[in-house]
Amino acid sequence: MSYLVNRLLSMMLTLFLISVITFTVTNILPGDVAMMIMGTQSNPEALAGLRQSLGLNDPLIVQYGRWIGGMLTGDWGNSLVFKEPIAPLLLQKMKASALIVLFSMSIALVCAVPLGVWAAVHANRWQDTAASSASLVGVSLPDFFWGIMLILLFARGLGWLPSSGFIDPADDIWGAMRHALLPSLALGLGLMAHLTRMTRATMTGILNQEFIRVARAKGLDEGTVVWRYGLANAVGPVMTVAGLQVGYLFGSIIVIESLFNFTGMGWLTYQALLNRDIPLIQASVFVIAAVVMLANLIVDLLYVAVDPRIRLS
Amino acid sequence: MRIPAAFRRSKGLIGAILVLSVFLVALLAPVFIPEDWATQMDMRARLSPPTWAHPLGTDQLGRDLMYRVLLGAQTSIYIASAAVLMSIVIGLPLGLISGYVGRTTDNVLMRLVDTLLSFPALLLALTISAVLGPNLQNTIIAIGIAFTPFLARIIRGEALRVAQMPYVEGARTAGNSDFRIIVHHILPNIMPAVIVQSTISLAFAILAEAGLSFLGLGTQPPDASWGLMIQASRDYLDRAPWTALVPGVAVAVTVLGLNMFGDALRDALDPRAKGGS
Repeated sequence: MSYLVNRLLSMMLTLFLISVITFTVTNILPGDVAMMIMGTQSNPEALAGLRQSLGLNDPLIVQYGRWIGGMLTGDWGNSLVFKEPIAPLLLQKMKASALIVLFSMSIALVCAVPLGVWAAVHANRWQDTAASSASLVGVSLPDFFWGIMLILLFARGLGWLPSSGFIDPADDIWGAMRHALLPSLALGLGLMAHLTRMTRATMTGILNQEFIRVARAKGLDEGTVVWRYGLANAVGPVMTVAGLQVGYLFGSIIVIESLFNFTGMGWLTYQALLNRDIPLIQASVFVIAAVVMLANLIVDLLYVAVDPRIRLS
Repeated sequence: MRIPAAFRRSKGLIGAILVLSVFLVALLAPVFIPEDWATQMDMRARLSPPTWAHPLGTDQLGRDLMYRVLLGAQTSIYIASAAVLMSIVIGLPLGLISGYVGRTTDNVLMRLVDTLLSFPALLLALTISAVLGPNLQNTIIAIGIAFTPFLARIIRGEALRVAQMPYVEGARTAGNSDFRIIVHHILPNIMPAVIVQSTISLAFAILAEAGLSFLGLGTQPPDASWGLMIQASRDYLDRAPWTALVPGVAVAVTVLGLNMFGDALRDALDPRAKGGS
């Protein structure tokens, strides 16, 4: 219990630091919100008036206080580009992204874990060489290159799947899946390669340990040894890496969603960055960092739940 | 069938050869290829597939892709190397101090590093680049800052481990100053980890540069970089897929070489952290 309380307290501190960093970095932007709203050619007096009314002349710390106060109470301001309140906009885009993030994570885990175990069981044989080489190529290609190849093959070449757009699963679940499949694959292939490498490395280490030899000596069949004894010990490390990859995923969605015109969180963040929509940049960067931190917290807690050795110490 | 150990070891060699070739291309291409060969527009051969005149085809403006990809190596390698160097210059002292001094200093610094790690590296780099205004120099700064927390974290862990070694204890008992201990006893012993991590970071930096330029928040025209070439190819994928394939393969070969070389280096220099091969 005290572990949980500690983690939550430290999470609060990290969230606070995330907000400070986000606010500071975005405030070095040349040009301010008033300039964004009125344009560079606007009347200097009107500009000064707007600055005054938006509170842009206040000290930074006061501005930060107002911003974080708004974030905490749900008033996230208005997007300058989309001319809409940010909170509902972000929430809606977040749901779209959740679809491909979860989808790609599932694809990656379902394929990577068996593949990594298979490679580890056949360490230094052709099976291992094949799986390891494939995953090495996988981590070496940029995700958007995967994306382009998938578009060329499945959208342009075979014409099986659409290459752009997003459909809300609430409206049309089949259409939503078809539109989410290619972006999810583009995200998932690189991820799968990372996780395969990690699973293989962890499992190779475990399969060389004493207790595995004992299990074999007892006459347990190889399947039980590998999957029940071996994999049970690899779940923790593999899960931790998968959790860390959530951060990587939320970086990749910016590229992939833009490539596939999939209007989720990454696409929104990209639009905000391109158009220097400061309030939207602040909110989306803060939210992404918070989500990534939360994902890692959940993985850590799962780790404790899965591995009794940590709970006891 | 058992793969012979000699073949497995050759992975590092293949990686080294790939990396060396790409670096040589980056260094020598600008010397041997006049710059205007890459910008010359052959209007009669726009989006031309590979031919004798243009062995790798041409782009939408009829520019020769072979010369562009060769000259683009310079930009991509330069940005990635400078960014990794920058992250070492900032991350090394941070990690060393954090790991060696410990206590409050360590707590404060690592809290900051952990917070920075909550920001996806690409998001951090994109934001910094958008804030500073995208150009070559700011791309380096953006990637360099985004990679610093990773390096600082790893160096801190290594410094912490080495600081507890008996020989460091001995050096302290012998009355050496902290500065001397860090420079003469800790630094040389964490170098293998720093070298391995830098090689892997270099691979990620090449990917990051490509990603940033692909989104228009990295290298700007007329500089030729691989990411920029892939971005330009997007609108012509149907008619001219080679415009994406040529720079894409260039990125893949470079990153593959760096990863193979990095894996082999890790196995050779850092036997405790086996894996990933």
